[in-house]
Amino acid sequence: MMRTAAIRLTALLLALSMTCVLSATLALAQKKPQPPEEPAGQEQVQSDVSTRDIAIQSNFTGIEILIFGSVDFSDSRTPGEGTYDVIAVVRGPDEPIILRKKERVAGIWVNGPGRTYSTVPGFYAVLSTRPVRAIASDKTLKELGIGLSDLDFGRYTQGDPQEQAYRSAMIRLNEQKKLFQDRDSAVKFIGRSLFRATVALPVNVPIGRYTVDVYLFRDGAVASKSQSSLEVNKAGLEQLVYALAFKHPFIYGLIGVFIAVLAGLAGWFAFRRAS
Amino acid sequence: MFQIYLPIAEISVNLLVMLGLGAAVGFLSGMFGVGGGFLLTPLLMLSGIPPAIAVATGANQIVGTSVSGTLAQWRRGNVDLRMGFVLIVGGVVGAVIGVFLLKFLRQLGQAGLMISLTYVAFLGVIGALMLWESVNAIRRARAGKTVSSRRSGQHNWIHGLPFKMRFPRSRLYISAIPPLVIGAMVGLLASFLGVGGGFIMVPALIYLLRMPTNIVIGTSIFQIIFITAIVTLLHATLNFTLDIVLAVLLVIGGVIGGQFGVRAGQRLRGEQLRALLALMVLGVAIRILFDLVLRPSELFSIVPLAGV
Repeated sequence: MMRTAAIRLTALLLALSMTCVLSATLALAQKKPQPPEEPAGQEQVQSDVSTRDIAIQSNFTGIEILIFGSVDFSDSRTPGEGTYDVIAVVRGPDEPIILRKKERVAGIWVNGPGRTYSTVPGFYAVLSTRPVRAIASDKTLKELGIGLSDLDFGRYTQGDPQEQAYRSAMIRLNEQKKLFQDRDSAVKFIGRSLFRATVALPVNVPIGRYTVDVYLFRDGAVASKSQSSLEVNKAGLEQLVYALAFKHPFIYGLIGVFIAVLAGLAGWFAFRRAS
Repeated sequence: MFQIYLPIAEISVNLLVMLGLGAAVGFLSGMFGVGGGFLLTPLLMLSGIPPAIAVATGANQIVGTSVSGTLAQWRRGNVDLRMGFVLIVGGVVGAVIGVFLLKFLRQLGQAGLMISLTYVAFLGVIGALMLWESVNAIRRARAGKTVSSRRSGQHNWIHGLPFKMRFPRSRLYISAIPPLVIGAMVGLLASFLGVGGGFIMVPALIYLLRMPTNIVIGTSIFQIIFITAIVTLLHATLNFTLDIVLAVLLVIGGVIGGQFGVRAGQRLRGEQLRALLALMVLGVAIRILFDLVLRPSELFSIVPLAGV
């Protein structure tokens, strides 16, 4: 508000001086460029994450990251008056999966034919100030791809009565593994414009590039959006082992056997001396 | 504390639990001359390791425990090298077939089911037979009759086969075909089930070839080194399912446990040893059978398409 007031004041002064001294005004106007015009209520959201590079090493047991941001040109006068809502969507790399359901065949439980979903995010978390359905209409959320129920998993089937059961089973399984998270009121405003949220990446997070989309909502519509990203990678010995296992699997296998033989020999010699 | 991240399994496990698991299985391995994989693989799966990684890493662990187990048996003169090499030749062929079979079944999504069914069938039948035989042997021993697991004068159809070889250590003169076939069968099961195959090998050599029990245990554990080494290599190369960090933990526990196992095994009589092993084999079979028959708490499962 201070800034808008200042702009208005400058404009007023300019107008006054214009009526007084015309020639001097022209020179003044050239020397003092006008500040960029900001339409009232055009708030902007800025955001970032606390850790941009997550290294998975041998002591990795999951990590909590902080998503923070602020609303520029906030119209909100008091904290918690509810002018704005923030929804943050953290999304990991997509990967194809097969979902199978066990069926009873001749008394034993057997995997039925699987269903392939080609684009299932390896991690997906929706963090918001309020339940997302209270923030915006279903249509808006669907367009933005916010929320587990509207997520596109890359499978288009019409009129399959079982589809919904499979879909919700997959979401449930991923939620159990904390790979899918839906957390209302995880985003908290601090003061008029600052907000923060924490998200816990579990130990089994897939590696790759994650995007963090932060949407600022006002009256059920997106007022502004900001994107940041973070990278999850294996590091140190874990990176070495992982790279070797997939790039030179035969050498990797040989090393495995070699270590085992050495350990076997060492164990035997140690115990032979002892006895 | 003591949590360690596994780079291939992509989960974090407790260091001490994995060392202990390796030690417990190593102990049994040294005691009975079995690889212990039939216990290790299901236990790893129960601790949350994906089945494919449990199979490959279990095999790698067995390499280590078998090396120290073999050295301990070797010192007691219990390894029949000649018989071992014949078994290995058959085993390599079987192992290659098994790894490809597993890859194919995994694409169908039926690998878990087939593994479980095979476990139940083999462990159930062999466990029951061994228990029956060893209980009878113990009874006869109690009754004061002399026990002889070796009936050298007895001949069966196996002695009619060609390509006869002499196995001086086992005091046998038999055809090379039965050990080759037994080796191949065990190799197939080894790679398919992620086990050393000792639980099949030991009874097969005792009851089919009539080798002396102590030589059987030494020879079985000797050939297991080679079979599991090949299985480890094949799984690492074809399926990318070997987790070396986990394998190292299990091996360290395993070699220590294995040494104590060999000592414990020396104190038990042959038929008591066989009865104990039979009980364990049966127990695992029943456990797996329950999992197949009882309604699972979660009907759905997710498999990454890339990992198939």
